[in-house]
Amino acid sequence: MLTVKNLTVSIEAKPVLQGLDLEVMAGEVHAIMGPNGSGKSSFAHVLAGRGGYEVTGGEVLFEGEDLLTLDVEERARRGLFLALQYPVELPGVSNLVFLRESLNAIRAARGEPILDAVQFMKLARDKATLMQLNPELLKRSVNAGFSGGEKKRNEILQMALLEPKLAILDETDSGLDIDAIRIVADGVNTLRSPQRAIILITHYQRLLDYIEPGRVHVLSGGRIVRSGDKALAVELERKGYGWIAEEVAA
Amino acid sequence: MSALQEPLERYRMLLDAAAPNLPGREIAWLATQRAAATQQLLQSGFPTRKTEAWRYTSLDRVLEPAWEVPRQYGAALDIGEYTLSDDAAARLVFVNGHWVAELSSTHALPEGVYMGSLRTALEVMPDTVATWLENSAAMRLSAFTALNTALLDDGVWLHISAGTKLTTPIELLHVCIAQDATPTAQLRNVIVLDDGAEAMLLEQYTGIGEAPSFTNSLTEIRLGRHARLEHARLQDEGPSARHLSYVCLHQQAHSRYRGLSMSLGGLWSRSEYHNRMCEQHTQFELDGLYIAGGHQLSDVHLAITHAVPHCTSRERFKGIVLGQGRAVFDGRIRVEQDAQKSAAELHNANLLLSRTAEIDTKPQLEIYADDVKCSHGTSIGQLEPAQLFYLRSRGIGLDAARRLLCQGFVMEILEGWHIPALHTRVAQRLDRLLAETPQADSDPH
Repeated sequence: MLTVKNLTVSIEAKPVLQGLDLEVMAGEVHAIMGPNGSGKSSFAHVLAGRGGYEVTGGEVLFEGEDLLTLDVEERARRGLFLALQYPVELPGVSNLVFLRESLNAIRAARGEPILDAVQFMKLARDKATLMQLNPELLKRSVNAGFSGGEKKRNEILQMALLEPKLAILDETDSGLDIDAIRIVADGVNTLRSPQRAIILITHYQRLLDYIEPGRVHVLSGGRIVRSGDKALAVELERKGYGWIAEEVAA
Repeated sequence: MSALQEPLERYRMLLDAAAPNLPGREIAWLATQRAAATQQLLQSGFPTRKTEAWRYTSLDRVLEPAWEVPRQYGAALDIGEYTLSDDAAARLVFVNGHWVAELSSTHALPEGVYMGSLRTALEVMPDTVATWLENSAAMRLSAFTALNTALLDDGVWLHISAGTKLTTPIELLHVCIAQDATPTAQLRNVIVLDDGAEAMLLEQYTGIGEAPSFTNSLTEIRLGRHARLEHARLQDEGPSARHLSYVCLHQQAHSRYRGLSMSLGGLWSRSEYHNRMCEQHTQFELDGLYIAGGHQLSDVHLAITHAVPHCTSRERFKGIVLGQGRAVFDGRIRVEQDAQKSAAELHNANLLLSRTAEIDTKPQLEIYADDVKCSHGTSIGQLEPAQLFYLRSRGIGLDAARRLLCQGFVMEILEGWHIPALHTRVAQRLDRLLAETPQADSDPH
């Protein structure tokens, strides 16, 4: 589904990714871990198409198509979804309007009929219930005045509505207490399917107790320096990231 | 010959041509007032950019055309599309400055509300009109209020007697038809709420046709003790319209005015609000919204004075300027030495969406009292790249993302006014202007 080959990326001439390789197949869940500044979030943003990153080499194929030449919205319409570490507040933009415009843009791209207001409302309420999100938050401005947990649940609600092929969750666990992590993880787990791939970007192992990945990668210095199964995450939790950096240096 | 003489001469001809058809020519005080106003105008002339209040706004577009006061006005007009409220208690319709009885409806008004045209009021109750107009100082505000007084002709006449509380809004609709001629409508609106009266007014200026037109309206509002008025004004005139409006308030103790000033249409428009609060515990609140694209100019001018203690004023304006549009916000709140315990807030936020658009904003808070609570703030910004990215990352195209963010920006103003038709009109205007504005010109990201 996703093939990343020797990807190098800079921000203002400063390299942030230096030869990243990754292969993700449908149905798989990958975790990308790494210390602060290792390039995890940059990688997520480059995939989603955020401005400010300069791709200096390598390629990214999404279902065989060159992802990097597509506009941000085109990537989303083809089935890529990024849950942000810091969901953006949109004062004055109703969450319902936002979710409906988004879903209908993506449905139109998939050749599916547009949902009318009534159909959409029912769907949104069902998904909100699933995410244990107060339906009142649907009527409020997007993320404005939401608690940290509500913002993250609102991200997963979007994911549940949009049903992407590839979901990238950037530090979705950061700032959440254990109960909130469990709710978010339950939501993500209900979306696991043989057709869908998930990339979890996280600093800590604890999210992986709830969403179990098939593969774990360690990102350091802008490259994946080690890959393994879930045991690697447990080892990282125990020993920290230092030993990997030392091993790579050696 | 100086630059001003030529337009002034044209306006003198306009006055001469209109004079024989003006109402109430036999009323002595009115004749005196018109003569004084004419003299004031011809002696002082029009302001120039050197006049502080007109520093950012050129008058060329108003002074150059040769305007005419139209005598005929048609009644065959479908006003359905302009309706702002489905449950209006009454509707007064003016076409090119003249009341059109056939389009108006006032029969459902409760007792205690007198509503009609100023022209009729001058005929049937000149003494009552004199009570409020004879000593009005409003004509001295500017050359244009003098012009308005010299041409005093027609407008809204609304008097709500003590204690009468209207539960549904009153609609005031001014339509300017400018198809081939270049009409000017000089409207004089008189709105009086006696002690304890309550009402909501939805006032709208709109236009048909693409020829230049000039609306010059002067509205005097008098609120008795404990009276409450909600007053939404929508300027949505035609693409070549010039629109100038003065709203002058006279508030008695404990009265409350809550207004909304929306400027969407016209080529050149300016709204002024003047309020000198001379009685204690009066409240003045004004929300505003202006959108200027294409070659539009939109100007807001506020002159609010706290002259006595315990009054509050709050003004909150938002604007979006794009294309080659220009906006001017000149808000001045003055808190005089005696006005202790005043509360005043003045805020102006703008979105500047293209490199060729311009905003001049000048919020001024002058405070001469020491025990007051005052704040002011102003901002000029662009659409946030992070917000645009967020919307686009959810599959929403760039055009739709910009539209959503602009609508979100104005929502803070609109959400306090539960008038769905106004929301729709703003959305339509935004869509049109955003579609006209090339993205390459507007978005650095």
